[in-house]
Amino acid sequence: EDGPGCLDCHSPEPDSPVHAIYDNVHGTLEGGGANACTACHGASEVHDRRGKRAAPDVSFGPRWPADLETRNGACVSCHASGDQLLWTGSAHQQEDMACTDCHTLHRASDPILDDRQATAFCGECHSQVRGELRLPSHHPIAEGELACGDCHNPHGSAGDAALRETSINDNCLGCHQEKRGPFLWEHEPVSEDCSLCHRSHGSVHDRLLVARGPALCQQCHSAAFHPSVPYGGESLGGNSGAYVVGKDCLNCHGQVHGSNHPSGARLTR
Amino acid sequence: ADDKTEEQAQADAQYQPLVPAGPAADPRWSDNSTGTVQLGAGYTSDDNFMFGQYNGLHNDGASLIGNLRWRSAAGGDSWWRASVDDLGLETREGEFTWGMADKLRLELGFDSSLQVRNDSGMTPFRGGSTLRLPDNWSGGASTGDWATLGDALHRFDRELARDKLSASISAALNEQWRLNASLSHEVKQGTGDIGGAFYIDAADGDAALLPLDVDYRTTEAEIGLSYSGSRLHLDGRLDYSGFDNSDDALYWDNPYNTSAGPGGIALAPDNEQYRGRLTGQFILTPEARLQFDGSYALASQDQDYLDWSANPGVLIVEDLPRNSYDGEVAIGTFNGKLLLRPLPRFEIEAFYRARERDYDAPRDGYRYPRGDSANQPASALSVYNTAYDYHSHSGGAEFAYRLPLRSRLSFEYEYEVVRRDNVAVRETEEDRYTLAYRIQPWRNFTARLEAEYADRSASRYRWDQRYYALLDVELINATPDNQRYINHPAFSQYYLSNREQWAGKLDLTWLPADTWNLNLNLSWRDDDYGASDLGVTESEWARAYASASWTPSADLSLSIYAGADSFESDQDGRAFRGGAEKNAFEIYPPLPQASDPSRDWSLAATDTSLTLGANLQWQVSEALALQADYNYVDTEGEQDLADAGAADLAPEDFPAVETRLHHFEAAATWQVNARLALRLDYQYYDYDSNDWSLRNVSVTSLDNVLTLGAQNPDEEIHYLGASAIYRWE
Repeated sequence: EDGPGCLDCHSPEPDSPVHAIYDNVHGTLEGGGANACTACHGASEVHDRRGKRAAPDVSFGPRWPADLETRNGACVSCHASGDQLLWTGSAHQQEDMACTDCHTLHRASDPILDDRQATAFCGECHSQVRGELRLPSHHPIAEGELACGDCHNPHGSAGDAALRETSINDNCLGCHQEKRGPFLWEHEPVSEDCSLCHRSHGSVHDRLLVARGPALCQQCHSAAFHPSVPYGGESLGGNSGAYVVGKDCLNCHGQVHGSNHPSGARLTR
Repeated sequence: ADDKTEEQAQADAQYQPLVPAGPAADPRWSDNSTGTVQLGAGYTSDDNFMFGQYNGLHNDGASLIGNLRWRSAAGGDSWWRASVDDLGLETREGEFTWGMADKLRLELGFDSSLQVRNDSGMTPFRGGSTLRLPDNWSGGASTGDWATLGDALHRFDRELARDKLSASISAALNEQWRLNASLSHEVKQGTGDIGGAFYIDAADGDAALLPLDVDYRTTEAEIGLSYSGSRLHLDGRLDYSGFDNSDDALYWDNPYNTSAGPGGIALAPDNEQYRGRLTGQFILTPEARLQFDGSYALASQDQDYLDWSANPGVLIVEDLPRNSYDGEVAIGTFNGKLLLRPLPRFEIEAFYRARERDYDAPRDGYRYPRGDSANQPASALSVYNTAYDYHSHSGGAEFAYRLPLRSRLSFEYEYEVVRRDNVAVRETEEDRYTLAYRIQPWRNFTARLEAEYADRSASRYRWDQRYYALLDVELINATPDNQRYINHPAFSQYYLSNREQWAGKLDLTWLPADTWNLNLNLSWRDDDYGASDLGVTESEWARAYASASWTPSADLSLSIYAGADSFESDQDGRAFRGGAEKNAFEIYPPLPQASDPSRDWSLAATDTSLTLGANLQWQVSEALALQADYNYVDTEGEQDLADAGAADLAPEDFPAVETRLHHFEAAATWQVNARLALRLDYQYYDYDSNDWSLRNVSVTSLDNVLTLGAQNPDEEIHYLGASAIYRWE
């Protein structure tokens, strides 16, 4: 017999997931057929001869799981570029995660590639983020309009937090190009780091802010004018509420991300 | 048998993360079919803006349920697949992909999303980029004087829709080289809101919240070439992003008669960015590899300036210094790592990161009229636009050693230096130390502990720096030395100031049985700005999360989670008047209020949240699948104020802001036969909040700010959907 005999034993049966591999692109590896099996599982000649009494060369478990490097090596031998380029050294790799902890190959479509299911699965371990996604102000991640993988590369990156872009601002400006500028009048924390004012996953405050105004603005502004004044509950009863209700400081300084108006030095126009 | 024992021993010696079972497949999409279509109808019980904030179900009444998965039959040389989601909603998306094994892939897609915001507010303005008041508008000095306001008010939707079309191609040129290209065009349209101000003297300004017409277009293109050799992998990309705002400005009628109108705001300028990025990995030896990811971008905009003022009555004696900004900023980033494994159990990761932002823009003095009601001021009151160049470099190393009992001990040191131009602090330096330990003493239990300490030191706080950067030399010379500041000299901006940071994390995972996964995750962080007299002085973040999942079989899984967050921050200020803000050329005594500590005030803010949730996936029988998901969120924000005794300062605590959410979702899928299934979806959503900035605040509550008068959300929404799912081979 010329080729491997995997399909002699692993015949298509309703309860056997093995043949679902042929419903996705992995089923065509090495020309398809049983060669697709050995492309990932190795030649497995002993297993071919002894069946259930010997493990395939590369088994992904649950029985006979090969060591982690062997299992992941089978995937990385093809997926060494693109999103997986910086897998080695990534947080998930250092956590000794196996590719198959998230991915399921013997299916027509891998559930982790579905954004909503992926987000739910990420939250199983990243429980703090899962909670943040439900806060009153949040990015539409729990709703499935965005996925964790839109901002983070779970296979790793060279920067912080496995961000897809090389900086947090580049990540944010990928969707919020209107804030890219450069502006004639810049608000310097904006171009430095969006997370100085915003939380990316969710916040108890409107517009994902880290604190509510005017206190947020007063963390950096203490001028000889209204920013130096304490605004408390008494402001709600009088016209000094102009600085605390509505859009608080932004009632006037509406161009908080920067202004291109020649008269916009105070970010009011 | 000996080999097997040895393999088993090796496997037992290896750490294995106790991750939950992989994501369950959506029961709607079967592997045994090449196509599945879901069609049906849904009903939302009421108009809303929180339940439907992002999911397209913000209107009451019926909506179409339409979803599709379709793929080519297996076995051919080429393959394709198509999908459509939420066909009947404004959040619809779809994708068509065609491929030839791993050689060629084409993708076409569309993606629509919709954000709705609180639409309970009203405005008297009409129009888009030019907002008009009704012809019979009767102005007045304050909002309460506007006799015709009531008749003029009308509701308006605050909704922003994004519609994106995209196409991409990926082709293997040979075994090593691959070409990738993509093109996308996005339109973002709708109505937001923005504050607009009118004033002669900002101490007595008027403002109005305005509907903001949004009409953005963004075109992005990318072409990339990747190389994958045995030791070298490179991924190079060139991309372009062009942003086009259809509206240059927002003009509006001035509803006040204390200041002349109209008003005008310059909207986000058209801008574009060209960028090159190179990502790569070079495997030096089996135990050493170099990784890098760097980019260089040029972002620019040359939008024509608006006039000094939208008000033709403003007296202008000096023209604009130029017709457009014509500014460019170069943004360079680099992230690099050197990964070493000098010993089988010893790993070193050395890293270097840099980010630079350099402006190339003209600097001019802008003699601009304050508000849209004042004439152009004296030339000495010109304000200069300023470049905020930013340079950040950090480097360090992590040393990790794998110890017995499947444990790993690591230590990381990072040094960061940040240099900024034209801000109060020229340079900050930070040392960061992280010690982490992970152990798996038993196969079913993992513990991780991490402690972190960081110490940031700032160079001399140059409180006059922004004053010098922004203002004219004549004004600077006319101002006493001790008044040449914009922020109080004792005030420190927290992100520029000295800081000591302590942080800790503890994560425990236990599998008491094969079917159970229990997790406890605790974290804490304390930021101490001890050298700051005024400004943020301390913040503390404590978080505790616990989860449990039970998966007794492939047909049943149940998980629950609970989390609590507490974020506290303390900030101090000093209430003072005087200085250049009041009269630039009047010499004041040395600001007695500014040097009076009895005028200090403090704010202690505490934000807490509690989240609870449960999820059930149950294949009850071959024909029936159930899914249920419940989330409860309870948040509270408190702001407590105190003063140091000045007679005119008596800040009261703000009322607490509370929000409550109950959200229950359930679905039942009944497989009638091999091809047909029926599905019922139900959602219950109950949300309310009591934000004081909305509670009992009408459009006229403030004399000098026309608000939207929006109300707090109080929603109780039911959604019911019924659909049929048809599959074919």
